[in-house]
Amino acid sequence: MSASQSAVRSRAEAVKVSRTFDYMIVFVLFFIILGGYHIHYMLTGGDWDFWTDWKDRRLWVTVAPIVAITFPAAVQSQLWWKYKLPFGAVLAVLGLLFGEWVNRYFNFWGWTYFPVNFVFPSQLVPGAILLDVILLLSNSMTLTAVAGGLAFGLIFYPGNWPVIAPLHVPVEYNGMVMTLADLQGYHYVRTGTPEYIRMVEKGTLRTFGKDVAPVSAFFSGFVSILIYFLWHFFGKWFGSMAFVKAV
Amino acid sequence: MKLVKDKVAKLSFVALLMAVTAAMLYTPTASAHGEKSQAAFMRMRTIHWFDLNWSKDTVPVNETMTVSGKFHVFAGWPETVDKPESAFLNIGTPGPVFIRAGSWIGGKLVPRSVSLELGETYEFKVLLKARRPGDWHVHTMMNVEGGGPIIGPGKWTTITGSMKSFTDPITTLTGDTVDLETYNLENTYFWHTLWFGIGLAWMVYWGSKPMFIPRLIAVDAGKGDSLISSTDKTVGMAFAIGTIAIVAMSMASTNAKYPVTTPLQAGLLRGMIPLELPAQTINVKVEDATYRVPGRAMQMTLVVTNNGDEPVRLAEFNTAGVRFLDPKVWEDETNYPDDMLAAEGLTVSDNSPLAPGEKRTISVTASDAAWEVYRLADLIYDPDSRFAGLLFFANEAGVRQMVTVDAPLIPSFI
Repeated sequence: MSASQSAVRSRAEAVKVSRTFDYMIVFVLFFIILGGYHIHYMLTGGDWDFWTDWKDRRLWVTVAPIVAITFPAAVQSQLWWKYKLPFGAVLAVLGLLFGEWVNRYFNFWGWTYFPVNFVFPSQLVPGAILLDVILLLSNSMTLTAVAGGLAFGLIFYPGNWPVIAPLHVPVEYNGMVMTLADLQGYHYVRTGTPEYIRMVEKGTLRTFGKDVAPVSAFFSGFVSILIYFLWHFFGKWFGSMAFVKAV
Repeated sequence: MKLVKDKVAKLSFVALLMAVTAAMLYTPTASAHGEKSQAAFMRMRTIHWFDLNWSKDTVPVNETMTVSGKFHVFAGWPETVDKPESAFLNIGTPGPVFIRAGSWIGGKLVPRSVSLELGETYEFKVLLKARRPGDWHVHTMMNVEGGGPIIGPGKWTTITGSMKSFTDPITTLTGDTVDLETYNLENTYFWHTLWFGIGLAWMVYWGSKPMFIPRLIAVDAGKGDSLISSTDKTVGMAFAIGTIAIVAMSMASTNAKYPVTTPLQAGLLRGMIPLELPAQTINVKVEDATYRVPGRAMQMTLVVTNNGDEPVRLAEFNTAGVRFLDPKVWEDETNYPDDMLAAEGLTVSDNSPLAPGEKRTISVTASDAAWEVYRLADLIYDPDSRFAGLLFFANEAGVRQMVTVDAPLIPSFI
């Protein structure tokens, strides 16, 4: 067979090879994104995502979406503009969550015995679906960044609330009021995570009474817009084939 | 010859693999928390733990034990370590083998960080509930913001039973009693599985169509828009609307189910009540101090003045949790960890009772392998080569008085 000849002999065979190639790419892509995104998210979101007593209504709500929108934006930039595939954000987030669950279950629980109800990851799928759908419907990076980025930040807290709310039920413990999440942080000894490094309920946002979470979510959504643009371009730059063409 | 060489090479390779495998299978339990590698000056000049008591050596799962005692916040706190304006009374265990059921400083519950005053002494207690069976080294521990963990003495404690039987019942302010060990677990799994499933469904929808090669060709040919059908857009809309609807409904149902929730509790606890110690009547001045490296012994020349109304004798020198006792004056009856107790480690040139009003210059030698074992001798390599510790003087009735010492230390290598 010469180099100019096709590797397949029929259309059916070409389709079969193409599909095999599709599944291989998705499989490999899933784990590559999982690795990069997981490391990124652990380094930037870290403790906010590890422990329930860090998942507060101010900083967790603000920080988690901002640092989480990065890889979805980058993966979208490749899958949409090159293939018109609108599942970049969901693919990235599913990879992250799969990696996180493996980590939380086998490391946090299996090795160090922190109960899973204390160390489960944040929920990011609702935001990722909105991000993908907005890109699909708008075919516009700008609109996806503005509407999608904002939606990604806004839906984060309500998307997590069904899992978090039960842990925010108050208890009276030896004369002090604590939430069940606070109590988890107190009960399950972490020698390397003293209470003072917990970055919760800090800041100057004190004029909205108890309704802090929506304001934090709006701010998070606003910054997510900017981060979306940035990482969309990172993705484009990373996926550029200019160098290969030059060679 | 080549055959022999090949065989040797093969056998070597097999031996290497066996050695690597054996090394992987050998995984001894970590038995300490790095307390010995913490800079000696930090252990000697920050928090001095004393009168420690581990209430039990063996605890069944679900039963409690206490670690209690006192700690002195050293007035000569090193400049290189941040002051304990924000500190957290922790417990040094290998993970949550116990749960911390309570911790108190001066009788006040301290689930959050506290502010401590230099030069003060505090009483503390940590209540632990056994969770995971095994032999565990349980340390006292104070985390200091900007200073890191300051680990105190540790003692081996055995937990017996089965972790499966562990429970942590808590009654909420809404009147429900929950087991914190498993609370909310099914709910967590349910929501994460549901959303993962929805995400996967989105992927399967797009994965059921040809993906990379045909689409890349179409996009390169300028026919990208034809790849998205009106059905695709309808499905996308359905996913978006469905997502928003699920989030809205789940939020509403959650709020109905948990009408009372509070934010996480945070903030520094101030006003820790220090221990009221009797007025100090013994004055100690350190004339000089040397550490003799070959002999593993520290020698101090002290000028001691007794301004009290009872004769006293030097009973103990305590530094970094290592206790050097003069057995003629004091014997330990607290079952203190052996490796940190030099029961006969304190030698005093003249330890006859120091009468009221008397002033005496004495030579005190604290010698024990603990200087090396606990790497306190490394003090001579620290940037600020000073030692510090607590001296305990005792009267005839066994009442002790604590005096802090802090002075430069000169190493002697011969």
